[in-house]
Amino acid sequence: MVSLANYLMLSAVLFGISVAGIVINRRNIVIILMCIELLLLAVNTNFVAFASFWDDIQGQIFVLFVLTVAAAEAAIGLAILVVIFRQHHSIAIDELSQLKG
Amino acid sequence: MAMTQIIFYSFAAILLFSATMVVSARNPVRAALFLVLAFIASAGLWLQLQAEFLGLVLVLVYVGAVMTLFLFVVMMLNINASEQQQRFVFYLPLVALIVALVVMLMFKVIGPTSFPTSEFFAPGMRASDYSNVEAIGAVLYTDYLYPFEIAGVILLAAIVAAISLSFRGRRRDKTEQVAEQVRVKKADRLRIIK
Amino acid sequence: MEQTLQMMSLGLVLAPLLASVVAGFAGDWIGRRGAHSVTIFCVAISFCLSIYFVNHFVLAAAAPINFTVYHWLVIQSLQLNVGFLLDALSSMMAVVVCFVSLLVHIYSIGYMHDDPAYQRFFSYISLFTFMMLMLVFANNFMQLFFGWEGVGLVSYLLIGFYYQRDSATLGSFKAFMVNRIGDFGFLLGIAAVLASFSSLDYAAVFAKAASLQQQTVTIWYGHEWSLMTVICLLLFIGAMGKSAQVPLHVWLPESMEGPTPISALIHAATMVTAGIYMVSRLSPLYELSNTALNVIMIIGATGALFLGLLGIVQNDVKRVVAYSTLSQLGYMVCGLGASAYAVSMFHLITHACFKALLFLGAGSVIIAMHHDQDIRHMGGLRRYMPVTYWTVLIGSLALAGLPPFSGFFSKDLLIVAVSASGLPATGYATACLTLGVFVTALYTFRAFFLTFHTTPRMDETTRSHLHESPAVVWLPLVILAIPSALLGIVMVSPVLFASQTLFVNTIHVAAHHSAMAELATEYHGAFKLMLHAFVTVPFWLALAGILVAWLCYEKYPASPAWLIKRFNWVYRLLLAKYGFDQFNQTFVVGSTRTLGRFLYQVTDVSLIDGFVNGVAAVTGLVSSVVRRIQTGFIYHYTLAMLLGLAGFLIWLLWG
Repeated sequence: MVSLANYLMLSAVLFGISVAGIVINRRNIVIILMCIELLLLAVNTNFVAFASFWDDIQGQIFVLFVLTVAAAEAAIGLAILVVIFRQHHSIAIDELSQLKG
Repeated sequence: MAMTQIIFYSFAAILLFSATMVVSARNPVRAALFLVLAFIASAGLWLQLQAEFLGLVLVLVYVGAVMTLFLFVVMMLNINASEQQQRFVFYLPLVALIVALVVMLMFKVIGPTSFPTSEFFAPGMRASDYSNVEAIGAVLYTDYLYPFEIAGVILLAAIVAAISLSFRGRRRDKTEQVAEQVRVKKADRLRIIK
Repeated sequence: MEQTLQMMSLGLVLAPLLASVVAGFAGDWIGRRGAHSVTIFCVAISFCLSIYFVNHFVLAAAAPINFTVYHWLVIQSLQLNVGFLLDALSSMMAVVVCFVSLLVHIYSIGYMHDDPAYQRFFSYISLFTFMMLMLVFANNFMQLFFGWEGVGLVSYLLIGFYYQRDSATLGSFKAFMVNRIGDFGFLLGIAAVLASFSSLDYAAVFAKAASLQQQTVTIWYGHEWSLMTVICLLLFIGAMGKSAQVPLHVWLPESMEGPTPISALIHAATMVTAGIYMVSRLSPLYELSNTALNVIMIIGATGALFLGLLGIVQNDVKRVVAYSTLSQLGYMVCGLGASAYAVSMFHLITHACFKALLFLGAGSVIIAMHHDQDIRHMGGLRRYMPVTYWTVLIGSLALAGLPPFSGFFSKDLLIVAVSASGLPATGYATACLTLGVFVTALYTFRAFFLTFHTTPRMDETTRSHLHESPAVVWLPLVILAIPSALLGIVMVSPVLFASQTLFVNTIHVAAHHSAMAELATEYHGAFKLMLHAFVTVPFWLALAGILVAWLCYEKYPASPAWLIKRFNWVYRLLLAKYGFDQFNQTFVVGSTRTLGRFLYQVTDVSLIDGFVNGVAAVTGLVSSVVRRIQTGFIYHYTLAMLLGLAGFLIWLLWG
């Protein structure tokens, strides 16, 4: 029997992988956006698992909304990426340190 | 081992493998494709959890639209695989340690001791005429009508934002474009004839 | 009647203030004539009113009037008022002040004729008159102190009148500083009065004084002092500063940097006598402390003799008269110590007349000599300035104390009173005062002969321009010469020895201080007193002094040089003014400077600035380290978030 804990642990590990991906990424911004998508995926899996095991449809409703917002956010993030690319002609993260103190 | 468990573990393996590849792939196109694979595996898991509508939405919308968008942008930007490998390797142990710590902590909260099988048992299979779509719809358009409309507005806002950020066409107004003014070079304005 | 008198006293005191304000602020607008006209007019009003007061309170012996003009401050049960005490003592003092002030105002028209700051000068001397009158008419210690400080302030302003000169500003500083030291003691005395009597009004204090006679107060190390002695000595420290007693006398010679009219007004007749007036006014307190009276007598006698000796070696004509003032103030203070307050006040009055005369006469000579003040450059001025010559001669004879001039009466009676006193220091004091008579005559006539007789020593251009001063200058001299000559004969009986003395109800003498009483029993009238002089020592000493001066400077002009060579160490000691100035410079000024430097460098710069700047520097240092965390890279921020998440989870699970 696959228990709830399995799904939850799976999503926890997925979460950890994607956070690690954000932190160790030195290459470009697109990878960060993809890792954010993975984060949201982990959370969604959590919700769906709970919705299933507790027989409550509200979890799935929430997933729907998270999906919506994630899509919107991906779109805007990519638009910003495009604008940055136009300015710097590169999307390497190391060149985006203008906020340093 | 029951069939459910085999399905679960295989899909889970694919999911985790592709997630790792997303993080560590050198070519961003490859990373995007692995992300697609991760979504598909995840959709399979969701189907196992009897959330058919969401699984399908995941594939259709996320993979079909959002990841396509990603690939568009990646290819448009024509990114070279950059050579920052040594830094990558340098930070990896430390970060892996911290992430492992965090995940262990999370396991403590959501692990089998907190959510034991004895209390949280899997729901039985649903009836054959169970329609997940109908179940969602029954709630979505009645109790969650307001958030639903707001979600639509969010998408509208995203469209407007994306366009206004990256629009490069001819502007109808006569406001000064300071960024362009600053970027002007002598060759743009002056043509030496003689 | 009383109401009228109160109004008149207000007018008397406030008229000079009004004149000062008008001349000071509207000086440019009303011009020179306007300035001196308004000030002379107002001081003349004060003078006439003061004459009326003398007539009322002294000659008609009316009862004193004590009234409050204005309630200034009320702190619980303590009331500080502006009030006036009108009686014989204050009326006499007011007459002296107004008389000399009026004459100085008139004199200044001539003396300050060429000065660009004419209106400012008149404003200041009127302001001084106001302050002095506030002091004289005060009926409580606070107002006394107000007048005290006020005259000190105006003295500072006037000594530094030629402020473009370094020596003038330094002199004014010195005067103010030394006065301040005296004022510190004075203020402590007032505080002691307040603490003991819970009131600052004279009436309340005098009423309660006798009951506190036996009380003691502990100051240091459990040593008990008599309360009255402490109070009286502290108040006397103020008098030492203001009336230039040893050792706070050092400011008076430097105060000669100011214009001569103010030397006459302030440093001869009025401000320096404020201390004498104060002690006389507070006689009910001083009578209760023999120790204080003894100390007063010693200090006065020391000043009388030793400061007089310094006058013999001075070459600036104003300095000679300044040291003469110091010596005569010593006489007056010594008389106070002998409980002969009335005699001291009488000497104050006569001294005001002849000393002002001498200063104004010196001013007349200075004008003629085109502001050269060195008597070694003078000589033979008798021929050129007859009026000045005769009036200064009268003044000098009065100062030397020869009958029938006024100085004789006051000084002789003072010496007799001191010798009749029963205090331990009487012998020393009498000796000092008697020798002082010789010294006085000597330096006075030395300066006189060198200036008016002997051969002329000035250069030819100056000599050809020598002439008598204008009328505004010699008229005050003549007016002052009259009381210098006659005041003694006329006033000695009424002032001192009438059955109801003029100062009854004002000066209080205890029964066991019997000097004045003994004097009264031996006194048989002014004429007899003059005849008696021929058998007393002071008279012959004065004549001897004049003789020695004549011998040294007229007959044998080479003798001073020989004497200087013979007694060189004495001469050098006198020139160095007994080393007071060097002592003050080294110890007092030096230690103050060192303390200031220490406080500046150690506490202010190192500690306080170091602390404040240190706080800023530490903040800067810390922030320059901490801001490295803000790298600008997203992955660092994400790592920080991750670490925060880990920490939070740990705390949540195990905290």
